[in-house]
Amino acid sequence: MIRVAAVGDIHMGPDSQGLLRPAFETLSEVADLLLLAGDLTRHGTPQEARVVAEEVRDLPVPVVAVLGNHDHHDEQPDKVAAILRDADVTVLEGEGTVVECAGTRVGIAGAKGFGGGFVGRSAGEFGEPLMKEFVRTTRRSADSLRTALEELGGRDCAVRIALTHFSPVADTLAGEPPEIYPFLGSYLLAEAIDTAGADLAVHGHAHLGTEHGMTAGGVRVRNVAQPVIRRAFNVYRLNAA
Amino acid sequence: MNDPTAQGRTAPQTGSPAAENIEYRVAHLHDRLAAEELGELGVRAEIRAGAVAITGTVPSGRCRETLLRIVREELTGLTVHTDVVVAETAGPDHAEEL
Repeated sequence: MIRVAAVGDIHMGPDSQGLLRPAFETLSEVADLLLLAGDLTRHGTPQEARVVAEEVRDLPVPVVAVLGNHDHHDEQPDKVAAILRDADVTVLEGEGTVVECAGTRVGIAGAKGFGGGFVGRSAGEFGEPLMKEFVRTTRRSADSLRTALEELGGRDCAVRIALTHFSPVADTLAGEPPEIYPFLGSYLLAEAIDTAGADLAVHGHAHLGTEHGMTAGGVRVRNVAQPVIRRAFNVYRLNAA
Repeated sequence: MNDPTAQGRTAPQTGSPAAENIEYRVAHLHDRLAAEELGELGVRAEIRAGAVAITGTVPSGRCRETLLRIVREELTGLTVHTDVVVAETAGPDHAEEL
């Protein structure tokens, strides 16, 4: 049994320090690891990243994160990631990591992902260069997620988890205005997850969405945006293979 | 910062029909919420029966105060209903079995 704690969209700023720490300090009692599904800051500034870093430093469980669009706003995502890594957070962008939890190997593949929409209502790689680049950005992210999951498949993991910021499915967007779905996620992420295989997909980004969804291939999806789960984090118990 | 007001966007002149158009005022409110200190994209502002309803979840009490101040500034003279909650920070009381 693997206990996965997860939250996204904590949007920390200077006035946030210490808000989540009391709950995070209980993690060793309820979870084996903590996943952070992006949008950890408001504007992606180093100052905000340091607030996040202090909030998760020296936690009793491993912490694995992806960045979100807010964490890119100040155009210093590498610096944000470096500040988090200094606090022992494993920050993933198109790569995987293996965490040992109570003798079980848990593989996490992480990528921010991007938008584009869902089958039948999605942007195409066509027309103006900006439009093509928009879709290619999503495609590159999805490809890196698929490759990372496939590599984890060869690393003796009992459980594999896909961690993104943008949503792989429309299910977990229910509650958001349908008109903005193309800015909230892409089916390309779900296709990558279904192609490589995973036991769980975790994302954030959609504050007005819902928690539960599933890919077309049957992988369970959870939207852990803090406004959705209305907790410091949620915990999912997974049976190891 | 991505402040649209600093990038040459020409705001409609006060008193012009466009400046008084409630839809554009709501759009400009969204612009400000994203561009200024909140970086807020998750709050909805919807026109309902001639009033504006502001709903959503923000990360802290201070963010809510700032949000409501900006709403008052942008939507002066309009009827505004607000239901903005602060994100909850307690741990979960149970886990989900998958």
